[in-house]
Amino acid sequence: MKIIKTLLFAALLGIAPGVFARTIEMNVNGLVCAFCAQGIEKTLKGFPATEHVFVSLEHRIVAVELKDGQDIGDAALKKAITDAGYALVDIRRTDESIAAIRARVSQDTPLPKVDPAQHHHDKEMPGMDMHE
Amino acid sequence: MESLKRWAAFVLLGLLPLSAAAKPIAFAKGKTLMLEWGAGTMYEAQMFYAPRYWYSVGGGWLELDSEDGLKRRDITYLRANLLAKRWNLPGAQANVFVWGGIGRATGNDFEGSTLSRNVGLQADYETRRVYSSFRSDLHESDRFSHRIDTLQLGWAPYAHEYDQLAMWFVVQGRRYTGGIAKGTETALLVRFFKGGAWVEVGATTDGKLQTMAMFNF
Repeated sequence: MKIIKTLLFAALLGIAPGVFARTIEMNVNGLVCAFCAQGIEKTLKGFPATEHVFVSLEHRIVAVELKDGQDIGDAALKKAITDAGYALVDIRRTDESIAAIRARVSQDTPLPKVDPAQHHHDKEMPGMDMHE
Repeated sequence: MESLKRWAAFVLLGLLPLSAAAKPIAFAKGKTLMLEWGAGTMYEAQMFYAPRYWYSVGGGWLELDSEDGLKRRDITYLRANLLAKRWNLPGAQANVFVWGGIGRATGNDFEGSTLSRNVGLQADYETRRVYSSFRSDLHESDRFSHRIDTLQLGWAPYAHEYDQLAMWFVVQGRRYTGGIAKGTETALLVRFFKGGAWVEVGATTDGKLQTMAMFNF
């Protein structure tokens, strides 16, 4: 019985990191000037769960790569973006790394204009591709 | 008729995409240092701290020298800046800033120092390729009143990314009141920024150096 419990505990530990997305990707309005957008990077790097931050002005994306097994809540993200002076349009969680997102957006065409009235938060949909 | 033309030109300029504009508020918990050498007519240094993204407090020093060499002002002031309104659009941002403050001023045409008041506003609009900004800054006291109106129109030859060097070409028109300079002082500038450093350098049409540096940290 003890062996079964130990195996079960070990299995849960192994699965646990998988339930967390690796990266949070956000669409942000108002991102037009690198000089002005520094506040977003500074604020997001202040979260203990943040590993890396990536900002793309062209695609209006702010991505946060998370440390293993950690997360940042949507409310905290929205507050961080809003307090930096920008408007959060949507949040998506993905298993892509920052490097993969950087490579993907460098090959993509710019995003079409987003209607803020139709924004949504996809916390329950990890891995969802944000462009399609 | 001349007045009508002037108003028409002003309205048309206002319709142009108005900022990679210098802003008196960087970001929450950010500090901004601005230094300007204004074509032999104005010199200004400012330092602000922004507890929140919508306001900052700090102070500055301004020297105004009239083009005829008869007037000089040295104004040291404390100032609060407020982001009155921001529009965050999918490919653009627009802002309206207002500010006010008090300080002490000295001049070469009056004795001692006098209490000076400062109010101003800035409206700007920018995309990644074009921008415009209009700023009006009034310094006055019982001894003088000087308003500096500055209009900037900018164009970027390429849309910079977050980690790239940004380059802008800027046309600046500036007018002074209170006997500092007559007419409109026009300057052509080139602006670079990357990370938290911003440098702008150019010359007025009569060949005087116009330059500005700004640092966010």
